[in-house]
This record gives sequence, C-alpha cells and structure tokens, in this order.
Amino acid sequence: MVNSENTKAQMRKGVLELCILSILSQGDAYPTEIIEKLKETKLVVVEGTLYPLLTRLKNTGLLTYRWEESTSGPPRKYYMLTEIGVTYLRELQLSWAELVDAVNKTIQPKN
Amino acid sequence: MNKTVTINISGIIFHIEEDAYEKLSKYLAAIKSLFNKADGGNEIMSDIESRIAEMLQGKTSAVKQVVLMSDVDYVIDNMGKPEEFVSEVMDSGDTSAEAGSAGEEPVKRRLFRDGDSKVIGGVCSGIGHYFGFDPVWLRIALLLMFFFAGTGLLLYIILWIAIPEAKTTADKLMMKGEKADINNISKAVKEEAEQLKKRMEKYGKDFRDLADRGAPRNAAEKTVDFIADLLTNIGRVLFKILGVLMVIFGLIFFLGLFSSIFGVSFMTSNVEGSEWIDMVLLDGRDFYIGLIGIALFAGTPIVMMIYGGVKILFKVRYSNRWVNLSAGILWLIGFVMLIYVGTRTSQDFNKVAKLRESIAVAPNDTLVLKMNELSVDYGELEVSDEKQEGERNYYRGHRTGYMIGKHDNTKYLLGNASLNVIKSQNGATDLVIVKEARGNGKEMARLRAKHIVYNVAQQNNEIIFDDLFRVNSVDKFRKQDVTAILRIPVGTVIYLDKSLESLIYDIENVTNTYDGDMVGRRWKMTEAGLVCVDCEGLVSVQDYLDGNTNEHDEDVNINVNGVNINAKDASIKVDSNGVNINSKESKVVIDKHGVHVNTKQGN
Repeated sequence: MVNSENTKAQMRKGVLELCILSILSQGDAYPTEIIEKLKETKLVVVEGTLYPLLTRLKNTGLLTYRWEESTSGPPRKYYMLTEIGVTYLRELQLSWAELVDAVNKTIQPKN
Repeated sequence: MNKTVTINISGIIFHIEEDAYEKLSKYLAAIKSLFNKADGGNEIMSDIESRIAEMLQGKTSAVKQVVLMSDVDYVIDNMGKPEEFVSEVMDSGDTSAEAGSAGEEPVKRRLFRDGDSKVIGGVCSGIGHYFGFDPVWLRIALLLMFFFAGTGLLLYIILWIAIPEAKTTADKLMMKGEKADINNISKAVKEEAEQLKKRMEKYGKDFRDLADRGAPRNAAEKTVDFIADLLTNIGRVLFKILGVLMVIFGLIFFLGLFSSIFGVSFMTSNVEGSEWIDMVLLDGRDFYIGLIGIALFAGTPIVMMIYGGVKILFKVRYSNRWVNLSAGILWLIGFVMLIYVGTRTSQDFNKVAKLRESIAVAPNDTLVLKMNELSVDYGELEVSDEKQEGERNYYRGHRTGYMIGKHDNTKYLLGNASLNVIKSQNGATDLVIVKEARGNGKEMARLRAKHIVYNVAQQNNEIIFDDLFRVNSVDKFRKQDVTAILRIPVGTVIYLDKSLESLIYDIENVTNTYDGDMVGRRWKMTEAGLVCVDCEGLVSVQDYLDGNTNEHDEDVNINVNGVNINAKDASIKVDSNGVNINSKESKVVIDKHGVHVNTKQGN
C-alpha cells in the first residue's frame, strides 16, 4: 500500500530540526511561539512532537534555555541557540541548500 | 450539576469535571509511559504539562472556572495523541547515538496483553504481537500443553498475571511497536552481549586516547565508569539467562511435582507418589489435605519461579504486590496443612506391637528351606531402596524397602520378610512368625500386626517361605515387618536354598559366614550354633560336627503354650489358636474358623 502521508511525514521530520534551529536563530522563543510559527508552515501538526525534540537538541548541546515568568500561566522556557548550535545550523543550512538544488535538478530535469 | 475535582498542573490549580479529569489523567499517563524510558523523559513530561496548564488557563476565566470535557479534547487535539508523538520518540535514537547521551534508546516493543483481540485474557494475542506471529498457533500449543498435566493452563494463568494489559494508547503502540528491536529472546541476549562488546571496544579506544593525552584524573573517572558499565552489562546478560533458566526449570519442576502427586506418567517417570501418600496418610480427608498441602507448599515457589522468569524475560516492569502476598499466604497454608497431616500421621506411628505366632514344623534330619517368589504385579509401581541385581553387594543382600503392588487384583503394601534360624531351646522344631506394626495405640498396632499376611508352606521336609508379606491398603503403611524364626534342635541339618539369599538376614553361625555365602549349603545346628557341613573353601569348623549327632526324631513338649508333639511322621500342636496336626500326607487345623483339612499331594 502506498501511503503518501507517511512519506510526507518523514520529509517533514527530516527538516524539522533545521526549522527549529532557524526559528531560534531569529531570536529566543518559548515552545508555544515555535509551534505557532511551525504551524503556519504546516510543518508541525501536533505540539506534542516538539517537546521531545527540543529536549534532545538541548541535551545535545545545540540549545539552551532560561526561565521567564509568564503573566498567564506557568513560567516559560525560553530556548536559544548555543555557539555549537549556531555552527551546526550553518552547516545544516549549507547542506540544505545543496540538497534542494540537487533535488530540484533531479525532479525537474532540463531538456 | 456535575462533580468537579481539583487538580494541580505545573503548580496551577484547576477545577475540572470528573469525567474530563479521567480523560486527562489517562492521557497524561499514556504520554508518561511513552517517555518513561527516553532520556530526559521527566523534563519532556514537565514541559508538556506546563504547556497543558497554559492551554487550560486560556480556556478558563473568572466566569468559566471549570475545565470541561471539551477543553480536555482541545488540549489533546493540539498536543496530539500519543501515537502521533511516537514516531518522534522512536526515530530520535538514530541521532542521539552520536551525541553520546546514553540511554536514549528507541522505544522497544514491549509485552502486553491485547484486550482488543482476546479470546480469554489476551495473553496469546499479546505474545503474538511481541514475536510477530499469528496467536492461533500459540493458542493451539497451550491447549495441547493443557493435556500435559495442565501445564498450559498454569502457564497461561502465570502469564495472565505477569503481563499487564495494554490499557492506554501508548501501551497499545508499544505492544505493536513498529520498530521492535527484539524479535525473540535469543536475539535480545545476543544484543546485550553485542552492546557489551561495543562498549568495551569504545572504552578500550578511550583508554588509548587518554593514555596518549595523559589525563590521569579523567582516566580514573573513566575507569570507574567503565567498570560500572561492564558490570551492569554482564549483569543484564546473566539476568536474561537466569530468566530463561527459571522458566525452563520451573516448568520441569512443575511437571515433576504434578506427575508425582497426581500419578500422571510422563516420559520415564512412573513413580506413583499419590499411591504412597494414600498408603501413609490416615484417611481420605488427610489424603486430600496432604495432597493440597504438598501442591501449595512445593507448587507455589515453582509457580513464582516461572512468574519471575517471565517477568525478567519480557522486561515486565509492572508489579503486582497481590501476587507476592497471595503466593506467600498460599505457601503458608500449604505449610500448615502439611504440619497438620504430618502430626496426625506421625501419631499413628507412636506405638509398636509385635505379634508372635508359632507354627509347628515336622522335624526332620534335614530341612530344606526355600523361597517362594510371590506373584505380584509391582513392576511399574515398585518403589524401594533395592539395588539392581548386579550392583547389589552381598553384604547388604537383605532387601529393605516396601512396594505397592497388586496380588489377585487387590492393592497391597508389600514388604520383604526376613528369615533367621536359631537353636531350639526345648528341642522342638518350630517356626515363629513375628509380625510387627505401629499404631496410634497398642491395640491399633496389634490389630495391624495381626492383619499382616505372610505364608509359609511345608512340604515333606521342605519349608517354603514367601519372600514378601502383604498388608491390605486399608491398614496403611505403619512400618510393618515380618521375621520368620526357625527354631531347630541340635543335630538338625538345614539346607539353605540359593533362592533364600534375599530373605535370610544375619543368621548367626559359628563361622561368622555372611548371608550371601550361607546359601546353597548345608548347615548343622550344634550346641554352639550353626556349622557348615559342605563349605569347602570356606572356613569350616569340622570339630563341631563330630560327636554331635543326637537326633530328636520324637519329642513331646507340654508347657504353658500348650502341647507340642513332634513325631517322626507328624506333628501335633495344641495351643490357644487351636489344634494343628501336620503329617506328611495332610494338614488338619481346627481353630476358630472351623476345621480345615489339607491334603498335601495337591499342593
């Protein structure tokens, strides 16, 4: 059975890390903000998937966070990129560009 | 009006409707069990909880204070169902490996009972999911095993108790776990070993690196880490093996116990334990108490062993304290039952009674003693200390031990009689049968002794002793014993037939010859004791033979026991039992049962 949904999900997952790092490179953010941005681009369907990913990126040393009081609710974790994270993102962006180029060349062959 | 519950999520208080609370707590539990194993699981969980608190706070206000079912649904819709998380958690393993944060393993397929496609308890379908095969085969196998002493049933019940049911969505996902890295147990063990090897290689490399760089403090730390890691990994492998052994041996023990108690034969075991329990215990009630006692006392630890093994093998974390508690109680009940039955039974062994019965023997110059092997069908039932023919050493030639066997289709306890030959003090030739038994009181013991059946036949100058005595199963096993003592006057010669080897027991003789050497030879009674007549090659004491040839062919004896007349051709004995006349041609007995006339030609 061919399931395009599955393939799409796999694709999304592959670039999710890149997207999260990119969002954070534009400024610190707490999960809800990240999710809202991702939801606009339909990269994330449910919020639940984000938390394990953030924790992992943080444990890997790409991200770090600080606590900030919130006026409406529990304190928020504001995530930011670490130095390693910045370097890592640069590498990812580079290879992403290469990948997009390569894929485009493959799926739209010039006559 | 609806009941509300007050809850605290991430330090914020919510009033929530009861059914909504149920749903939310189930949802949280499902997520929690999903992230339990992952590294930073607690952190993820608290992040999610604080996000949920935030969402719920947005849904409540001063006007609408209570969290409703629809709010919980909103939360779940936005946060996603556990199965939607799963893909993320599972795939995270690949990237985390290089990051070196140990323990962030992919969610492994775990064993659950599948309540959705169950026949009885969902055990088979759960195991089917785990190993990835059609549960029908397992069901058939268990059904077949049911006929092996109900092992299938036992195993099923143990598995039912040991394996938790997949209740939450997360459970169900883990049950079917798309990316299961355990397909079978051997693979799991192999995997642990592999992992161990990898780590060792890794540590070996680390060491070399460290040695190059020369960082002593770090090296010491790494050594400790390494050893700790090594030990846990070895421990894990051993633990798995232990689990396998526990299940295998548990099942073997269970089959053994079952077959010995309930008399079901498996393979080569034909020991009918229940026959013996029946033979020893007082009555039917004791019999059943005893059986249940043994089953509980020995069975509970066996069952717990299998249970523990299953839990180790399938990494079942869920533990049920009721299982341990009730196992302990059952074991204790079994113990008490055994003590009760044991006390009652041992009391029935308290008193010993010996019954002596004198049988007149026609005197003869030479008496030939033989053994008659009782035709008993005890082939499969035999339980005794007796050694096999070849290995029996003649020093312990006398057979001990009891058997349960059938004679004329009636069940009997059979014991080995023993025979002794001594010098007659009064010059008469007679045979004393000493029967011994035990009982609660003297009377009971005497009655049991009286019930022992032991036959000795006389034919001309031959006395034929049965090898076994019989005890009716009603009389139970109460250490019954029979000793036949042949008293012969000085001068009488006896020939001990070879068949007697297992019957004679420590017959005293002048030359101190062992029982095994005494058979097949003639022995003459002298004042000093038995002397061998034809023992060439053995130490013989010829001196005793000379001048001691008094023959006591005719003899009349009257004493407190009665009248004993031993004539050449017949013997007449009158005592409390009645009148007993034995001649070469016939035997006449007059006792309380009446008059019996036996013509010996026919026998």
